Amino acid sequence: MSETTKTTNEEILAEEKAMLEDIAARLSGFARERANLVPLLQMIQERHGYLPPDAINMVAEYLEIASCEVYGVATFYNQFRFTPPGKHQIKICLGTACHVKGGDIILENFERKLEIREGEITPDREFGIDRVACVGCCALAPVATVDESVQGHMAPSKVEGIILGFQIEKEREAREKQKDDAGEK
Amino acid sequence: MAKILIDKKEIEAKEGANLLQVCLKNGFYIPNLCHLEGMDSPPASCRLCFVEIEEEDGPVTSCSVTVRAGLKVTTDTPPVRRLQRSALKLLLSAHDVDCARCPANKKCGLQTIARFLKVGLKPKQLEQLRKETEGMEDHPFLRYDPNRCVLCGRCLQVCHGKQGQPFLTFAKRGFDTVIASYGEKDLSNTTYQEFTACAQACPVAALGPKND
Amino acid sequence: MTPEKNKNLDQMFTAIQEKAARHADSITEDPAPKIYIGMATCGLASGALETKKAFEEALSLRNIQARILQVGCMGHCYGEPLVTVHNPGFPPILYHQVTPGKATMLVKSFLEEGDPLFEYLLGAMEENDLIPQVWDFARFSQEKRVVTEICGFINPEEILDYIAMGGYSSLAETLRLEPHDIINQVKNSGLRGRGGAGFPTGKKWELAKDARGQEKTVILNADEGDPGAYMDRTILESNPHQVLEGIAICAYAVGARKAILYVRSEYPLAVKVVTRAIEQAKELGLLGKGILGTSFDLDISVFQGSGAFVCGEETALIQSIEGQRGMPQLRPPYPVQKGLWGNPTVINNVKTFASVPPILKHGEFWYRQIGTEGSTGTAIFSVVGDILHAGLVEIPMGVPLRTLIFDICGGIPNKRTFKAVQVGGPSGGCLPADFLDTPIDFDSLTEAGAMMGSGGMVVMDEDTCMVDVARYFLDFTQKESCGKCTFCRIGTRHLLNLLERITKGEGREGDLELLEDLSQDIRDGSLCGLGKTAPNPVLTSLKYFRDEYVAHVKEKRCPAGVCRALTAYYIDLEKCARGCDACVGSCPVEAIFTTKNRKKGIDQTLCVKCGECVTACPAEYDAVRKVSPPERAPIVERPADISD
Repeated sequence: MSETTKTTNEEILAEEKAMLEDIAARLSGFARERANLVPLLQMIQERHGYLPPDAINMVAEYLEIASCEVYGVATFYNQFRFTPPGKHQIKICLGTACHVKGGDIILENFERKLEIREGEITPDREFGIDRVACVGCCALAPVATVDESVQGHMAPSKVEGIILGFQIEKEREAREKQKDDAGEK
Repeated sequence: MAKILIDKKEIEAKEGANLLQVCLKNGFYIPNLCHLEGMDSPPASCRLCFVEIEEEDGPVTSCSVTVRAGLKVTTDTPPVRRLQRSALKLLLSAHDVDCARCPANKKCGLQTIARFLKVGLKPKQLEQLRKETEGMEDHPFLRYDPNRCVLCGRCLQVCHGKQGQPFLTFAKRGFDTVIASYGEKDLSNTTYQEFTACAQACPVAALGPKND
Repeated sequence: MTPEKNKNLDQMFTAIQEKAARHADSITEDPAPKIYIGMATCGLASGALETKKAFEEALSLRNIQARILQVGCMGHCYGEPLVTVHNPGFPPILYHQVTPGKATMLVKSFLEEGDPLFEYLLGAMEENDLIPQVWDFARFSQEKRVVTEICGFINPEEILDYIAMGGYSSLAETLRLEPHDIINQVKNSGLRGRGGAGFPTGKKWELAKDARGQEKTVILNADEGDPGAYMDRTILESNPHQVLEGIAICAYAVGARKAILYVRSEYPLAVKVVTRAIEQAKELGLLGKGILGTSFDLDISVFQGSGAFVCGEETALIQSIEGQRGMPQLRPPYPVQKGLWGNPTVINNVKTFASVPPILKHGEFWYRQIGTEGSTGTAIFSVVGDILHAGLVEIPMGVPLRTLIFDICGGIPNKRTFKAVQVGGPSGGCLPADFLDTPIDFDSLTEAGAMMGSGGMVVMDEDTCMVDVARYFLDFTQKESCGKCTFCRIGTRHLLNLLERITKGEGREGDLELLEDLSQDIRDGSLCGLGKTAPNPVLTSLKYFRDEYVAHVKEKRCPAGVCRALTAYYIDLEKCARGCDACVGSCPVEAIFTTKNRKKGIDQTLCVKCGECVTACPAEYDAVRKVSPPERAPIVERPADISD
């Protein structure tokens, strides 16, 4: 195992631990009733980007229902993921208007550029791609949402720009961090 | 008691009783998969038990009709048979038809219905569909074949562990829907007998004990 | 209700109205110029935040005192970001596509120098001698705004804005009346549910009122899942209080003390805005305990839908609130008899509830005069796709499709011709040009093979392949099928596979007949509305565009040139300019090479048919061609070794 993957794995474990502590602390804010099942899952999804297996068991225990039921409900809805998302999540709208205006070509361009398929994340966990049914910005079709911002009138040529933008930002951060580290020394 | 007509024969049945059950009890066979006696609300999901009722538009599923006086039911009109055959062919197109190696052979729900409707077990028009999802490999007692399962849900109706909690569920959605177990906690309270009871409810041996 | 209590109610509501009036006056009497920026989702997506920032910076740079006010969406999405500038001495003027650059110029030229920049304005919002009014344009004048009347004109996060425009007066009036009076008014207005099926609203409320049950509940269905429709979101984001007022009126009429707003979690801004609106209404005593001093309590909360189209179906919606998989249940019993937790439950759409306050305010007869005999009132459509003035349009029922598409929305852009209009989303159908004179109402659209649905309307030009559109919708419904019943779960998968095969040029003899037969069985045999209507896009396109299907199956040709397996791009060597490299950089897969005589060719084995080279090729050359079937593209050999 190389040095970098080792740290990444350790990081993931530490992240998961912190995540479960956070969830445990927040459960008590919800009444112990079945009606809170979906809201609880939404809280976890919103704060952590996905539902780890342990979280499903925690919710089941808290609501005193079988964990298979929680799993059954969670897998029914599009909103819930079961694997961690990318740091930057790109959602390609494939609503009717976006489809007619070539949304699938935008999706393909992201897939090609990032070398992953929809539903996957890049090995460095920087980017993930999802398709969504409609973000309700049909007049601006084709649309993609990048993290929280909606990008209207997408074109294949814009795809490269968006990814490049994040990469430049990341490099800049890395440089600044290096400078800071050097300064501290 | 209410008097109703089934295929022109007068039958007495309890007002409010489930029509599918009344038909079956009186010797009128109607194809069905998802129905279990004693359910409070029928899932009406297999879409096989169609009948026609006078003064109503087109076929309706008999499991969702309650008996009232004067009901006139016909069980074998061409539109009824068309929908039943179509539903059966759809189920067969997503079913791994390999009867010789199937524990349900000769007692299989699909075989019975196919014989009754005179439908071959391998309909030609529809291509075969297969799910890519796995069964329950990690389950200690049960085996599950998603490509045999017709998703009638009968196992879920009887599947309750000691504390009345289910240990199986529908999971995922749409064509990918499967029966799934989840988590260790679900197993500890449940006995081997409870698992097998649940497997016995399966009409097509998609669910069975591991040593089956 | 006793006169004593009425007195109490009157006093309380008058005090609220006075507060709202003072709030409104403080804005109108402010001598500073006012800048209203549309900040609903579509405005934000078009850059309204950047525009707002540019205004703020320009104002502070030039030291100009002006008020920036945030408003919702007017529905003119083609023009976003939309900004209204009210500079004293001028009428309020509406500007479209206000980029940060334009914002800076407006501050300098208009606010500082008094030049309203005619080239950027859409029109004036009031009568004047200087500037043409927006009301002279069909996109504005032919609308009839009942539900969206003040959307885009008020701050959705300020309840006093709504009250100053007459808001909550229908609720105040309602509390003076008996529940059956309210139900009669709604019944007499002829209002039908705007969620798609068109069930008479008054009738539904009456059933719920008469149903036995302790905890009756009112649910707002804002699980707008139709891909291509966003009017519910816009209304919630732009005027949430009109919806809340309608819900409160309904709750009073049917005897419910609990209301749940079921809003898609994909609409974060809408969730935020309604949550804030509920808080504000509670603070003023318009919702919550003892509304306006009466004994009427309404506990109101927001539930976020988790992304399942089928949850728009009311029994599935209830299942999901109860923490179950959102699978439709057998009806009857209907939710009005036995709904949430077994109690009588009224579920209505956003537009239905929002129609109620105006009906009670102006009277049932006023409402009946709008629209047609069988479909009273207005219809709201999100008109998108190949259309010039895309956005939300509210029109009286009965207006023909042609008027809506060509007169109001400006027709098809880019000199293309109209091919079809898809009405009603995945449950609706595609109508060809022959149906353009169909009046828009519940019954006429259903008769034509489409349906009102929730109001999605996608206009398609000649470059649209109807087989591909049908495939698209089936892909959607197939993914969104809950999986409960055989026909929808397995049948739609077969339909999709057949359509995919056909669009790939692998269609076979008999496929079209199989599509038709299977579609009919799914329609007749499915458990819920989603399954029953899922084959509609296939059935209507087969009916009206059968020759296109035949071309795909028999000739392996896509007449519109959309299906990528059946098309190819090539470069017309006669037109290609020697030495020009414009297309090379645009190609994402390096499929374009240079020929021996320094023109360009496309390597068909690499080409992904994205069409970027068409856009990149300079207009004066216009050398990239698209053909179907792909064999029609002339073969241009890549030179063996160009590097030497």
